Amino acid sequence: MNLTLKVWRQKDAKSPGGLVEYQVSGVSNDMSFLEMLDILNEELVVKGEDAICFDHDCREGICGMCALMIDGQAHGKDKAATSCQLHMRRYQDGDTITIEPFRAKAFPVVKDLVVDRSAFDRIQAAGGFVSVGTGGAVDANCLPVPKQNAEKALDAASCIGCGACVAACPNASAMLFVAAKVSQYALLPQGRPEREKRALAMRSAMDAEGFGHCSNEYECEAACPKDIKVSNIARLNREFLRASVLAE
Amino acid sequence: MEAAKTCCCKRSCRFLEFLESSIGKKIMLALAGFLLCGFLIAHLAGNLFMFAGADAFNHYAEALEANPLIPLAEGGLVALFLLHIALAIRAKFANQAARPVDYEVYRGKGARTPGSRTMAMTGALILAFIIIHVATLKFEVGGLKGPDLYAHVTGWLKNPLYAGFYILAVAGVGLHLSHGVQSALQTFGAGHPRYTPMLKKLGLLFAVSIAAGFASLPIYFGWFAPNTTACCAAEEGAQ
Repeated sequence: MNLTLKVWRQKDAKSPGGLVEYQVSGVSNDMSFLEMLDILNEELVVKGEDAICFDHDCREGICGMCALMIDGQAHGKDKAATSCQLHMRRYQDGDTITIEPFRAKAFPVVKDLVVDRSAFDRIQAAGGFVSVGTGGAVDANCLPVPKQNAEKALDAASCIGCGACVAACPNASAMLFVAAKVSQYALLPQGRPEREKRALAMRSAMDAEGFGHCSNEYECEAACPKDIKVSNIARLNREFLRASVLAE
Repeated sequence: MEAAKTCCCKRSCRFLEFLESSIGKKIMLALAGFLLCGFLIAHLAGNLFMFAGADAFNHYAEALEANPLIPLAEGGLVALFLLHIALAIRAKFANQAARPVDYEVYRGKGARTPGSRTMAMTGALILAFIIIHVATLKFEVGGLKGPDLYAHVTGWLKNPLYAGFYILAVAGVGLHLSHGVQSALQTFGAGHPRYTPMLKKLGLLFAVSIAAGFASLPIYFGWFAPNTTACCAAEEGAQ
């Protein structure tokens, strides 16, 4: 199939950017979206032009590196999938596709479609871990964890930190990411000793990065490639409220 | 966290930190909205006395105004409105600052509702309505004055423009609440797998009931009520 791409090109963080139109021909239905971009890049390099920069790594929906706003949807039109899991069979010959970087003040553009998502690392470093000694592996059933809590914690822990929640949010809020990182520990006994400290520190780091305020539009949940639920945001609100009252 | 280190009183600093935080401001905004919902219920309950006739409504209004706590309640109500509006405007600006460069194409994945998309618009509509509503019905701006409150209100509602704007505004209230109630529940951290979905549905029912309840007044008194009191209002009316 033949496609028209409108791709955001930006030389570096300080230069102004804009959409540039490209024609791509001979795209197979079996290609992934990123392979289609590879084809275009090979053509650009042959022509002596600068290849389009985009983030990618595992290309199987695990790492969270690929981060494209495709036709105004984070990771494209599929539900619960990353950009690399989007396949060209979802498009038809003659389609025009607009590709932009994730937009947020806290995610500055590095080049073209690559954004700096280290704000997430700093939030995680503020409290997204367990630092108290929880001992070695205990005997089975010594530390009771209800099945539903284990499931919810693992669901929250499946967040790959891709930033689609921020990109899709009309307010560029990072609440779903922070909620997932707080929830994965709040639900388990190992995370409980530091729950107040964690909720306060991660909220503080989130606001310091300049993310927007959550207004419960739930576009984050709809865009999340790992299907992280907004019930985690309710839990973060509870954890923060609890910590604000109870923390020493 | 920085504030907690440098402050003399950790406890008060924690409270200030809460108020300054994005989540804390959202909780305050939701709390003000929730309390305003209480006002809507009380106001609607009072207004429905109009269906019981002029005497019942006038008696209710006189009894309400005779209560010495009314100025205090009015002051509290104005404060709640101002807090709700100020926090909403502040959040709006913060959200715009959080995305300085907008998308050329933004489509989303269908999670937004008509209510959530129009919160600022319906909020502004409600504010405009409240100003006109209070000016005309409480401070008698607009040249219309009935012999009693019932005649005064029905006099205004006979004006199709006034009744039409009233209906539009209460539809705006319903749309605002359709997002606002479930959003407030989420902000308060309501997350029970069985009760929360039910509460959110009840929130939608509440939004529809409030809008329908208030809209019943201009619809009935604007177009369907027997023309008994309009004569008094029309005589006094300067329009």
